[in-house]
Amino acid sequence: MNIYLPIAEMSVNAALFLSMGCAVGFLSGLFGVGGGFLLTPLLIFMGVPSAVAVGTGSMQILASSVSGAIAQYRRKNVDVKMGAVLVAGGIVGSVIGVSLMKILRQMGQFDLFVSLSYVTFLGAVGALMMIESIGTLRRTGGHVARKTGQHSWVHGLPFKMRFHRSKLYISVIPPAMIGAFVGFMAAIMGVGGGFVMVPAMIYLLRVPTSVVIGTSLFQIVFVMAVTTLLQAMQNKAVDVVLALLLIVGGVIGAQFGASAGDRLKGEQLRFMLAALVLLVCLRIGWDLMTKPAEIYSIGPVLGGGF
Amino acid sequence: MRRALLLLFMALALTPAVGQDKRPGMGPPRPIAPPASTLAAPIDVPTIEADVSTRSLEVTTGFTGHEIIVFGAIDNSQAPQDHAGFYDVVVVVEGTPFPVVVRKKSDVAGVWINTSAITFASVPSYYAIASTKPIEEIAGPSVLERHAIGFRHIKMTPSPASRGAFKDYELAAFRAAVIRLKKEQNLYVIEPKDGVTFTGRSLFRSTIALPANVPVGPLVARTYLFRNGEVISAHIARVTLQRAGVERVVHNFAFIYPMSYGLIAVLIAVLAGLLASAYFRRQPG
Repeated sequence: MNIYLPIAEMSVNAALFLSMGCAVGFLSGLFGVGGGFLLTPLLIFMGVPSAVAVGTGSMQILASSVSGAIAQYRRKNVDVKMGAVLVAGGIVGSVIGVSLMKILRQMGQFDLFVSLSYVTFLGAVGALMMIESIGTLRRTGGHVARKTGQHSWVHGLPFKMRFHRSKLYISVIPPAMIGAFVGFMAAIMGVGGGFVMVPAMIYLLRVPTSVVIGTSLFQIVFVMAVTTLLQAMQNKAVDVVLALLLIVGGVIGAQFGASAGDRLKGEQLRFMLAALVLLVCLRIGWDLMTKPAEIYSIGPVLGGGF
Repeated sequence: MRRALLLLFMALALTPAVGQDKRPGMGPPRPIAPPASTLAAPIDVPTIEADVSTRSLEVTTGFTGHEIIVFGAIDNSQAPQDHAGFYDVVVVVEGTPFPVVVRKKSDVAGVWINTSAITFASVPSYYAIASTKPIEEIAGPSVLERHAIGFRHIKMTPSPASRGAFKDYELAAFRAAVIRLKKEQNLYVIEPKDGVTFTGRSLFRSTIALPANVPVGPLVARTYLFRNGEVISAHIARVTLQRAGVERVVHNFAFIYPMSYGLIAVLIAVLAGLLASAYFRRQPG
């Protein structure tokens, strides 16, 4: 069944896009990740204009993280104060990202910027995860004891604030910066940014692992809501019909993914996720480096001109 | 209850508006420059008259393209009986012209980057051509150029800012790229051989298939009557192509009230997420 997407302005096979949402939902349920980094490139690959893919992606991420965030909040796994700082930073980052996106689109360099961001972040995160998971697989369950109470440069900054639930007394600058960076990425790449925020909170801020997931979901929900709004206002890049197809597919897929994930070991999952991230990175990188079959492209003239 | 609600919600979200009602009354087609000779020689001059099967088309959520038939007749046809090919008819269906940016990539330190761009002030969004035989066999380039018939003769002028910045061969390459890319998108089409067929001496018809991705906006169907390589009569008919139904509501809402649209998008996402998780929490396992 074909369905005409009002903002992307294209006729697509509804069943195909539903199953795409389903497949990405399955993987995100399996690995416990948002899946934005898979969905957005996939949409672009399917011919959805990259701006619409990115804008609609944020709406889909909002839908898929809201219930998780509420569940975490009920279980008191959210450090609301830390979350608020991350959100404040995130909104600033998102505003900058959406505005930059508008300028880049007018210059015709948005696609390039998206691809380069994907290659950089997926490459870095994928490689780190791969090294770590290979290490853990080798050690077969051996545990590395992390020293507590270690201080780093992060702890020497001003504007200190007490975060009770995280049992931290640190400057607000690092969490605000992390939030801003993630918000910026969210706007430009159409991802939630959990894959950057979670390690940053654990390793840089030393937030206890029990509240990391909940707090990052808390940030993602609010920042994604703001990003969706901004994308709709500034770039007219949110396709509600497309988002609904992806949300419905994604929710169904995530259920199966989560139950499949229960049967696999954590280290195996992390290794597979790392491999997947690197594959997506290589694929996008390959497209950037090889001579395209068509070196010309056409597009509408966007407001502001060239 | 929640499950029923969710199903209803999904059904609503996925049901495209079925069917496209065609509204009549777009005003009659009019001839281009009524032949001045009608007064002088009212009987002898052959003229062409044409119309389009559907004057008004609507792009709804279920739009998958549409076929229009351009049909017409030659008045005062002087073609002898059983003489096929006495007249030639060319039908051009052209979409609304829009400004278009064409970008060219080149290799910068191993990465393919858009390095140059040109803006054409107006490029027809859609261009289909149908004729009794290949247009090169019907008329010479100067005649085709004058009437903008054929891909090579589509009117495409660089915007003032882009003019002069490129050499002629570069401009030609950009032009060729637009035509090539539009052809790939099925927006520039040459209807196959026998695009226009005659029924008897004076009636003709041609079928033009508008693809699903045809840009919204008025279309113009130009019909030309050729004899010995010259245009002896021409006619213009118009077709409107506009958004309708849910498609129209959503699109207009998004562009006219972007803030409300964004807020509703956020609301839909939150509700969809909550509904879905509520639905699956009730499932066993």
